[in-house]
Amino acid sequence: MQSKTKDLVPILEVNNLFASTENLPILKGVTISVNPGEIHAIMGRNGCGKSTLSKIIAGHPSYTITKGEIKFTGRDIRSLEPEVRAQSGIFLGFQYPIEIPGVSNLEFLRVATNARRKFLKKEELDTFDFEDLVKEKLDLVKMDSAFLSRSINQGFSGGEKKRNEILQMALLEPKIAILDETDSGLDIDALRIVASGIKKISNEETGIILITHYQRLLDEIKPDYVHVMSEGQIIKTGESDLALELEKHGYEWTDNCSKQL
Amino acid sequence: MQIIEEIKKNRLISNPSEIQKLCLDKLKLNPLPNIKSELWRLSNKSKFSSFLDYSHKKKESKVSFPYKNTSQNIIRLIIGENTFINIKQETYSIRQSKDSEIVDYIKKNISAFDQTDHWSDLLNHCLSSKKNILGLNISGNKVPPIEILSASSSESFNAKTLILFFEKNCKVDLLQINLGNENSSLSQTTYLCLEEETSVNHGVVSYGKNKSNLLNSLNVLQKTKSEYNLGSLHCKFNYARFEIRINQLEGDAKTIIKGIQITKKDEQIATYTKMQFNGPNGILEQLNKSLAEDKSHAVFEGTIIVPKIAQKTDASQLSRNLLLSKHAKIDTKPQLKIIADDVKCKHGATISQLNEEEIFYMRSRGLTLEEASKLQLSSYLQEIISCIPVSKDKWDLLDKLLKEN
Repeated sequence: MQSKTKDLVPILEVNNLFASTENLPILKGVTISVNPGEIHAIMGRNGCGKSTLSKIIAGHPSYTITKGEIKFTGRDIRSLEPEVRAQSGIFLGFQYPIEIPGVSNLEFLRVATNARRKFLKKEELDTFDFEDLVKEKLDLVKMDSAFLSRSINQGFSGGEKKRNEILQMALLEPKIAILDETDSGLDIDALRIVASGIKKISNEETGIILITHYQRLLDEIKPDYVHVMSEGQIIKTGESDLALELEKHGYEWTDNCSKQL
Repeated sequence: MQIIEEIKKNRLISNPSEIQKLCLDKLKLNPLPNIKSELWRLSNKSKFSSFLDYSHKKKESKVSFPYKNTSQNIIRLIIGENTFINIKQETYSIRQSKDSEIVDYIKKNISAFDQTDHWSDLLNHCLSSKKNILGLNISGNKVPPIEILSASSSESFNAKTLILFFEKNCKVDLLQINLGNENSSLSQTTYLCLEEETSVNHGVVSYGKNKSNLLNSLNVLQKTKSEYNLGSLHCKFNYARFEIRINQLEGDAKTIIKGIQITKKDEQIATYTKMQFNGPNGILEQLNKSLAEDKSHAVFEGTIIVPKIAQKTDASQLSRNLLLSKHAKIDTKPQLKIIADDVKCKHGATISQLNEEEIFYMRSRGLTLEEASKLQLSSYLQEIISCIPVSKDKWDLLDKLLKEN
């Protein structure tokens, strides 16, 4: 499938990526390219390697790349530490955001925002300036400022955790955001809030990968491309109507594609 | 072990007081603790010897509080240096205990002391001179925060004793600082007696310098409807031992204990707690944390005793430990001795390393490994530090100690 913006330098290129954890192969030749302004959706059965792909792009140390490459704005990032990837503009929205008791959400967000700002050669923010910024971003995800004084994700409901992820995305202004099942566990209203937040943050220069099981998120955020993953590979790519077909027929419909590969 | 030799040869003190005589008599036959007992078996022998190798006869040097006083409203005392205190205000009073009160109280305690269980106290009373015993009677529900400093002098063994009687309905924040100077040993014994309906928030911060040692013993008696909260931090000692014994005399009282010990290099720091319920409806919440780096060794042993009379006791004891090096060692043993049949008691222990998923989460937001680890460690400490009754932002020293860890 041809990119709609083929003349641009891709933000992210994953080429024939093989990866494993504890000698167990999980990714078996994934290729995907995301250009500025594009929204991609990755769908697939549980355990097909979607979350692994997202973690490997973010630099999770538990996985080993055995073959292939990952390029971010044209640069091979395989040897970069996770924090360097994050500082340079890769954002992973976690499927299960981690609770960190005792670490203040506000302080964590400030340190993270300043790490990104430092990379962008912007002035780092002191506590007061940061509070002004974060309050402005809180409106995007309709979060109460009381969340800032709590420990990271501790005692947050599922929906609050996901909104906190989008708040972080808004503060970090990434070049590419990979959102791993951001819609899971959200009720209809929370889904709309999160989707609206994502749409407001994204622009012509950012790329977004949505990992999801459900059409309902894609009703809110229309993807340019939909990829179907199975057993560590992307077995089918199409436009947004591919998600509707999957919703209609289920993953069995794509099983033949897998067999043909 | 200079001090032990002197006890054996009866040359420890030239003019012993009544209390010193009593304790020397108790120690003369067995001057050392039983190293095979549960309470002493993990004690590092060579470090324990070095603890006893300093002279107690040297002149003590003057010490000062290691941080600024940011409030006029704090009462500060240094054991061994305050000659007299007598404050009587409308809402509270603090008066120095009479010598006879102190002697009677210590004598009563000594008579019940077992040599193994209370070896640290017996040694303290052998060596603690009248000048180094501070006794206070405190009353009132608007007592200003009290800070009490105990320190050892370089190249010396110093013994200090603190006895605080909290009268009925008394409410107070008490911060105790034990400071070990270079090449020294400090023996600190503390008694707190909480009358009915008292509430004491007690912070104990003990930190040493190069090759300093500490034997810190805390004995607390709680009467009914009293509430005792203890937050403690022990760090930077070559060898330190914190013994806590709390007795809810008639039950119906509440005890909260939160403590942390941080060990580095080849240090050994141990905490032993014994919680005794002697009446019904007692409550205990206890959390002890250890953080061990390099080749250090941290020890925690906690015992909760619930006899038949202590029905409806509700006690929990948790030991959480963080190993930051493969050469460091942590021993932990929370234990329950329950005879009563209608109680809620739970205990547990965990030993772990820094949580990798938490670290990755923070790194995926741009924090370096070092920043993420520091933030996680600071949160690990914060849970305990927040229980010490002085906010860390007002306290330069604690802030410095935390940043160093």
